[in-house]
Amino acid sequence: MILFILAILLFLIGLYGVLVKRNLIKMIIGLMIMEYAVNLIFTLVGYRSGGTAPIVTDSISSVLYVDPLPQALVLTAIVIGLGTTALAVSFAVRIFEKYDTFDVRKIRKLRG
Amino acid sequence: MNPLLYPIVIPFIAGLLLYVIPRRVKGIHEAAALLVSAGTFGLTVWLFLQKPMEWTTQNSLILRLDDLSAFILLAAGLFGFLIALYSVIYMKDRNQRSMYYGSLLLTLGATCGALMSNHLILLLIFWGFLGITLYLLIQSGGDGAAPAAKKSLIIVGGSDALLLLGIVFIYSLTGTFEMDKILLSFNNGLVTWVFVLLALSAFAKAGSLPLHTWIPDMAMHTPIPATALMPAALDKLLGIYLLGRMVLNLFQMTGAMNLFLMIVGAVTIITAVMMALVQHDLRKLLAYHAVSQVGYMVLGIGTGTVIGIAGGLFHMLNNTLYKTCLFLTGGSVKYRTGSTDLDELGGLARFMPMTFLSFIFAALAISGIPPLNGFVSKWMVYQGLVELGREGDKLWVVWLLAAMFGSGLTLASFMKLTHTVFLGDSAKRAGRKIKEVGFIMWLPTVILAVLCVLFGVFAIQVPLKHFIIPAMGSDIEYIGSWSPGLATVMILIGIGIGFLIYLAGNLKGIREADSFIGGEELDSETRVTGTGFYNTIREMGMFSRIYRWAEDKWFDVYDLGNHLFSGIGGVLSKAHTGVLNLYVFWFVFGLIVLLIVLMGGSL
Amino acid sequence: MNFIPLFVIVPLGAAFLMPVVSRLWKGMSDVLGNLAALFLMVWSFAALQMGHETTVFYAGGWEPVASIPIGIAMVMDGLTVFMLIIINVIGFAVTLYSVNYMNHYTDKAKYYTLFLLMMAGLNGVVLAGDLFNLFVFLEISAIASYSLVAFGIGSEELEASFKYQILGGTASTLILMGIAFFYHMTGTLNLADASTVIQQLGTHPGIIFVSILFLVGFSLKAALIPFHAWLPDAHPSAPAPISAMLSGVVIKVLGVYALIRIFFNVFGITAMPSVLTIFIVLGSVSMVAGAFLAISQSDFKRMLAYSSISQIGYVLFALGLGTPLGILGAMFHLINHAAFKSLLFLNSGAVVYRTNTRDLDQLGGISQKMPVTGITSLLGSLSISGLPPFGGFWSKLIIIMAAVESGHFALAGVAVFTSIVTLAYYMKLQKEAFYGALKASFGKLKEAPFLMSLSVILLAIVVTGMGLLLIPEFKSVILDPAVKIISGGLNYSKLVLGG
Repeated sequence: MILFILAILLFLIGLYGVLVKRNLIKMIIGLMIMEYAVNLIFTLVGYRSGGTAPIVTDSISSVLYVDPLPQALVLTAIVIGLGTTALAVSFAVRIFEKYDTFDVRKIRKLRG
Repeated sequence: MNPLLYPIVIPFIAGLLLYVIPRRVKGIHEAAALLVSAGTFGLTVWLFLQKPMEWTTQNSLILRLDDLSAFILLAAGLFGFLIALYSVIYMKDRNQRSMYYGSLLLTLGATCGALMSNHLILLLIFWGFLGITLYLLIQSGGDGAAPAAKKSLIIVGGSDALLLLGIVFIYSLTGTFEMDKILLSFNNGLVTWVFVLLALSAFAKAGSLPLHTWIPDMAMHTPIPATALMPAALDKLLGIYLLGRMVLNLFQMTGAMNLFLMIVGAVTIITAVMMALVQHDLRKLLAYHAVSQVGYMVLGIGTGTVIGIAGGLFHMLNNTLYKTCLFLTGGSVKYRTGSTDLDELGGLARFMPMTFLSFIFAALAISGIPPLNGFVSKWMVYQGLVELGREGDKLWVVWLLAAMFGSGLTLASFMKLTHTVFLGDSAKRAGRKIKEVGFIMWLPTVILAVLCVLFGVFAIQVPLKHFIIPAMGSDIEYIGSWSPGLATVMILIGIGIGFLIYLAGNLKGIREADSFIGGEELDSETRVTGTGFYNTIREMGMFSRIYRWAEDKWFDVYDLGNHLFSGIGGVLSKAHTGVLNLYVFWFVFGLIVLLIVLMGGSL
Repeated sequence: MNFIPLFVIVPLGAAFLMPVVSRLWKGMSDVLGNLAALFLMVWSFAALQMGHETTVFYAGGWEPVASIPIGIAMVMDGLTVFMLIIINVIGFAVTLYSVNYMNHYTDKAKYYTLFLLMMAGLNGVVLAGDLFNLFVFLEISAIASYSLVAFGIGSEELEASFKYQILGGTASTLILMGIAFFYHMTGTLNLADASTVIQQLGTHPGIIFVSILFLVGFSLKAALIPFHAWLPDAHPSAPAPISAMLSGVVIKVLGVYALIRIFFNVFGITAMPSVLTIFIVLGSVSMVAGAFLAISQSDFKRMLAYSSISQIGYVLFALGLGTPLGILGAMFHLINHAAFKSLLFLNSGAVVYRTNTRDLDQLGGISQKMPVTGITSLLGSLSISGLPPFGGFWSKLIIIMAAVESGHFALAGVAVFTSIVTLAYYMKLQKEAFYGALKASFGKLKEAPFLMSLSVILLAIVVTGMGLLLIPEFKSVILDPAVKIISGGLNYSKLVLGG
């Protein structure tokens, strides 16, 4: 349970970053922290205390093994996260070229 | 196919075809519009003779032609045809002919549909569709018409939304959409809402306060026959038809609802006629009268007495006759002189005798001069008010005074109009060679003027007997000792005596003198027009401020709404500052609120 | 070969082929893109025949064991078919339009690649039978649409896309967190299977927490107020065909469809009636505020974007009523809105293509020079404003009837009021852009190119005839199966798993 709470705390730290930071890159980092926190939660969901790795071997004796599904899903989620992050960072760079700033308060041509 | 469908389907198909035919093809639009509208008129006559008729499909009564709708249908058919005839010449050089004629036929078809619908949803469809054709007709006025078209469709289309809500409420109360099965009594708060919603929708169509403001605006930019078609004739018929239907069939009226109608009617009469009095433009002046006259119909229907309602309906019929005639004669003036500005017109009577004659009869009719039709129906409305007083209503005098005062002011403003346009000195612009309009253009106005006279003189024998009284479902008890035939004879004798006196006084011939002001001769530049006299009213202390407010659109629901909505929208739009953190904050805020709301219950 | 996966495989395959074939011949990307989109449209109509019953496809042949699914499932039922038709018909109109329109931009092949990826993602979302695949497909289409919004790489496009990414990314993480907890609660990700588990669990605080995460995440994708802030930036900045796709399809599939599937079919709306109230509240707030925001805009596409918020509000409002009539109204409005909003965005594209501006103050009178654009946009405006006899009138009528039927008189009044405001701002749009005096600088304006006009004409025909969907013959094929699935609620799991 404590691990869950810590992971959610990590999520909130990420949310804080997105909510408060003015710098584009820092906002992206906040988003990444949120993603990783969620990945962590997902892995924790599949974890069984004292469970073994879910690998089928001949000498399988213990019935208790960690749930393999979340691990597979987290791998996918990490890849998706990579995609979004790469896209966001590349846009941040392009925005810097156009606006000469990373300050989100100055990047507001679109409003109203 | 049921014959009731013909007057709907035929104009619709023809109208849609006309949209597609390019405007380069000469003549076909006019020919088709004329043919179809004449055919529709013929159909309506035939249907009027066949009534009552019904069309039932899938166990529900969809279309129904009863006594109330039959005579209004007949009138709609007549106006459609006359205006199509008039338009042939008037619109011949315009660019938007295919849009104009297509919309005209669609308007005609949809009007017939709305009048015959017994199913409320079908009524709603035709009703709303008329808003679209109105929009297109106004757009056929060219570039300047865009703001007026927008305003008209917002008001008319917006009121359709109200009608929709009213109809849905009716369905939830009664479980049916079929009008013949509906009779609502005011025992439920919702019914009052239904009544108000339906009434507002009727007001917007007919152009009664507070939803009348599209009419003066659109009249300025729309081709005049289109103005004559929609707000002066068909929309008026429809709006009052709905109101009549509500009062006669759909609702069991109560005093409070009647009072509501009478207040609206009386206020409409007075305010609109006051606005009409100070107008400087023929079209705008007529448009305000188109509004003012609706007041009489609403007032008459609001009396709740048989004769009052009959008077209101009869006034609707009469009003469409003379108001269409007035607009068409106005159109003829515009066609020949190119202007409708009162300051630029004058002395047209000698150049355009047929137009002038039609105009003068219609103007006398609208002013309520006996023995013309306007008088008869106003007289019936007054009688309704008197009867209301006999039944113990305290306020009847107020309504009666408002109606009579409005009638007086109508006469006043038509004296101004007649004088400035047709009599008096020729203005510079009118000094050019002006000819009477062609036969095809004056014929419709003359027909209408003749009908105005006939409906007045033979009021009881023809229109009341065949049109109004069957629709009322009960006989009228006349309280005034008014007999149109006798009165006509008396008036004719009076006119004859007057003419003799005139002849006697002028046997020596009259002397024409130049106008002098302080010894100086008045040149044509500084001629006296009728409008000048009426500016006095505008400048009177109390009125001047009200008129100024009215001109600044402080009384216009549309502009008030526009300011209000844009204001709210502006504030909301300011909140979107473009700073991303704020947007994330909204997101988190929403999340937290939902967490509190949903989790709060379970913890 | 089962034909369900083709909805995903074909666009995905075409997307990856695109860079290759475009090297062979320049026009090839147009041909391939349109062929793929045409195939998808035809295929979605072919799927109509299957719409009456639920069909399940298990990837790799992993059939369920003892009624417990173990493989990846793709489920096609009435609602899916309904959404597939929306996606692929609009998708085809948009690709057709893009042939001319995207000449404005440099690299068409990349555009088509991204576009087809987005299509694959959208089709995948509606076909996904389990939550995680739904998420993956959602992210595929989201990433593709982030890139497409910024396709012009102007400063505004980049800004809009960045905001879209940050907000969309936050929502995606919330959804993923929801999925994690969801799995924790139920031990399965298959929607049908989870549905049965949840019924046994009852109203558990954990389930409610998960439902909040999903509600917030998917509401952002659907752009409901207060989660809407990305939409008025992203939708106008995108190239017009993409705006049409985003407003017409993406917000519905990623937002509304996902909400419906999860809340009606998995959680079961009867178990949590408060969610219905939230739908109503979010829906009516979006409806009214979106309309007010739209009326104060002076940018053609931005006005349309706010209008989308308002119209999606109608859909959610109707869904929140929860009655079969309300659901019918919601679905009908959904398909209507897809048609007329895409049409209007494509019209805005034609205007931008010829005049290079979308500022309403600088436009005026252009329907004289561009009659096809003018007339079709008028049809779209009249329909969205709810004037008869167009489709929008019928869906608003049904929604208002449903509101009154379920006793929400005041809210029915609000919906009517909003439709008047809607009429007002669309009339403003028509007046400022298409009617009135032609600006002198537009003297040499020409009608939009042929394929662009063809595409808007096709959509205008659809918009005009949409009311026909209420005729029993059509209704029973397209609308009814979707409504049946939604109002059937938890029957979903039985239909999918059998038995």
